[in-house]
Amino acid sequence: MNWQLIAFAFLTGATLYSAFRVATDRNITHAALYLAITFLGVAGYFLLLGAEFLAAVQVLVYEGAVMTVMVFAIMLSEMREVRGEKVSVGKLLRSRYWGPLPLLIGLGFFGAVMMVLRDPNLSNRQPASANASLTELAGALLTTYIIPFEVVSVLLLAAMVGAIIIAKRGGEES
Amino acid sequence: MPHNAWAIPGLALLAYALIVFFGRRFGERAAFIPIIALGGSFVLAVINLLAVIGGATAEVRFDWLHLGERTITMGYRVGPVEAVVLFMVTLVSLMVLLFSKGYMHGDAKFNRFFANVTLFITGMLLLVIADNFLLFLVAWEVMGLCSYLLIGHWFEDLDNAKAAMKAFLTTRLGDVGLMLGVWMLFLATGSFRFDEITKEISKGQMDVAFLTLAALALFSGAVGKSAQVPLHIWLPDAMAGPTPVSALIHAATMVAAGVFLVARSFPIFQAAPDAMLTVAVIGAITALMAALIATVQTDIKKSLAYSTVSQLGFMMLALGVGGFAAGIFHLLTHAFFKALLFLGSGSVIHAAHTQEMHKMGGLFRKLPVTGATFIIGTLALAGIPPLAGFFSKDEILLEAFHFERAPILFWMAVFAAFLTAYYMTRSVILTFFGKPRDHHVYDHAHESPPIMALPLLILAVPAVFAGLAGAPFAGSWLQHFIDPHVHLPEPSGFVQNVAIGVSVAGIVVAFLIYQVGILNRQAAIRVLKPVYVLFKQKFYFDHVAMGIVAVTVAISRFVATVDKWVVDGLVNGLGWFVFQMGQGARRFAAGSAQAYAMVMALAIAVGLFVYQAMGG
Amino acid sequence: MISIPLTYFLAAGAALFGLGLYGALRRTNIITVLMCIELMLNAVNINFITFSRYITSTGSQVTGQVFSVFIMAVGAAEVAVGLAIILAWVRRRQQVNINEINNLRG
Repeated sequence: MNWQLIAFAFLTGATLYSAFRVATDRNITHAALYLAITFLGVAGYFLLLGAEFLAAVQVLVYEGAVMTVMVFAIMLSEMREVRGEKVSVGKLLRSRYWGPLPLLIGLGFFGAVMMVLRDPNLSNRQPASANASLTELAGALLTTYIIPFEVVSVLLLAAMVGAIIIAKRGGEES
Repeated sequence: MPHNAWAIPGLALLAYALIVFFGRRFGERAAFIPIIALGGSFVLAVINLLAVIGGATAEVRFDWLHLGERTITMGYRVGPVEAVVLFMVTLVSLMVLLFSKGYMHGDAKFNRFFANVTLFITGMLLLVIADNFLLFLVAWEVMGLCSYLLIGHWFEDLDNAKAAMKAFLTTRLGDVGLMLGVWMLFLATGSFRFDEITKEISKGQMDVAFLTLAALALFSGAVGKSAQVPLHIWLPDAMAGPTPVSALIHAATMVAAGVFLVARSFPIFQAAPDAMLTVAVIGAITALMAALIATVQTDIKKSLAYSTVSQLGFMMLALGVGGFAAGIFHLLTHAFFKALLFLGSGSVIHAAHTQEMHKMGGLFRKLPVTGATFIIGTLALAGIPPLAGFFSKDEILLEAFHFERAPILFWMAVFAAFLTAYYMTRSVILTFFGKPRDHHVYDHAHESPPIMALPLLILAVPAVFAGLAGAPFAGSWLQHFIDPHVHLPEPSGFVQNVAIGVSVAGIVVAFLIYQVGILNRQAAIRVLKPVYVLFKQKFYFDHVAMGIVAVTVAISRFVATVDKWVVDGLVNGLGWFVFQMGQGARRFAAGSAQAYAMVMALAIAVGLFVYQAMGG
Repeated sequence: MISIPLTYFLAAGAALFGLGLYGALRRTNIITVLMCIELMLNAVNINFITFSRYITSTGSQVTGQVFSVFIMAVGAAEVAVGLAIILAWVRRRQQVNINEINNLRG
């Protein structure tokens, strides 16, 4: 029982619980807050795996940007009436349209991955001594992956412009 | 100038168009449009005839369709046969149009009548000059349609509409064979043109069985159109139409089209002796059977109708025994005197307002012109020399006499000739002589107006003299003209004497029975009851036909039921199944992105498990 | 050195992904659905980083991180556009129920 395992257990508990609340909480504002916690938990995983830069980016992008936009959207859409549902075992199984299908699919994915993980080659795998450094990452991004990098830049630009136009046009029409 | 022959039907067509589009403005004066046009056609026909007599022939054609390597031409041809038939048709048509002007006076559908008659004449003229089977078929069908329209002219009466339907469907039955025959010939020779088909056949390389089949198929068309046994049942019913129509279509022209068809395709028949024999036998049977039925008819028009059937049988017999010229000869003379007789009967009906001969009697005093011309027509039909019918009928009998394959045909024809004289005399006596049997009819009878009497007088002329054109003492000019290579049968004094003998005998017998009253007719009918009923019921042909129709209808009903419940059921069931599947599939296309994602995720999850199960 | 087995991380990632998937399919509020999609993206990121750490050849290690960066960028873009669309929709229809958004209904 080393500190890493304890940290992992704590992270896993927090992350999965908050993720569960995101997926089920009837109050959308609460769900958003739990989502923030989940993002933090994921950042913790990154730290644990030695990807400090990505952990920082995770916090910056998700906590700083995505969460802000989400909360913004929730407030702007003026959802006084929150339409989430109460969590109960019966509700998990029943749904208006699809019955227990979403639950089964979710569990199915989890189960499928768990079946893969029984492979001893995976569980016996030893980690590398350290994760790739920031310098290596920067180098790779600007050399090997320069074209995808630029494409992503264009994508972000397009998304920004698109978001503005969509939101604006929607406003005009209403 | 025979190359202007296209104008002969062309004028009629123009008149048709005019009367259809502008006829309403002129009221009954619209009748003059086709009369003038047909007058022009008649003049052209005469000019043509003279030119052809002078040795000219016209053949005009142009390429109409290119089908692969084959080229189908359209065109017309005017030779001796066409020229004389054109002359006959235009003359009779013109007379009938004139007569109709008076007869149809006051009819609510006056213009429609004239339009239809004009279109019919167009069809007939086109049929005569057509140089290929396609155009021939077109004209043939136009005539069939007009016949239908005209028989059903007074369609308000359901019986008339039914008669029209019966005529159309019955002739249609034969037309199927005709088209089949035309198609067979096209397959075999690659052409629709009469001359090319003839050329191809004269090479003598074609299978005789095939030719026989083709000829019989063509003949079935003729059987329908020319009312030969067993498809003769429509013609007497066709008398439901206005009488001028009966004169034109069902006596002089359209029914002659079937004979004309056989004459047209004569080389084909000549190449198939069995088909020829069939034609002859059918012709003889028709001639005899129709004559027998005619003896017991009491309706003046029906009697004439069966007479027509009988005479058409004579023509077929002539063609069947190889007497091409004799058949055409009889076709011409018959057209004149039968048109005359029908118009005469129309005049009688117009005067008496009944078609029942037993209600007439003694009308000669009231209708002298009609009576005289009618008697001329009768004598011509009966075959009294020197009237038209004598020479042509004599010619046919002579041909039949020399026909060695079936000598009985000659005696059948002789008997039919005897009956012809008998029933025609009977009609004349019942109608025009004796005491008036119905005073109401008698008192109201009056001679027809000049416009109706004139055609009778004009038609009486060729009825008397047309036969001279083919008379033996005139060197059988017409026969040589029609067919330069004609082999006239050996003249036979025996045949001539028999012909005259039976004609006179028929007249005398009828005279004795109906005028002198030599025997009690009621008693005779009682004694000969079975025979009388058999004739009266027209040999039960109608019953057989109706039985066949009933069976066909029953089968059709059954098939329709099967179709409705089994075939349609299958198809509809399949449709229902697919529809239900679609309804099910609709749920997946609910427009909900979440649902799509669901299906996608489900598929991936299942795929993952399958991948695992297969051993990664 | 890290002493947690590879499979633990992968299991955690799988659980996160499963939860996100469940929520994305189950929830009717479109904003929540978007949140759940973000959960799934994060789960994928965990996997990428985990494998990049547990891969022994140093040249390939960086690849996982590079793809995580891309995924984050794409996720951010998606959120931006997605929320803009949602806002436009909400203004127009005054509701955020995904089941009502069925303009593509066949």
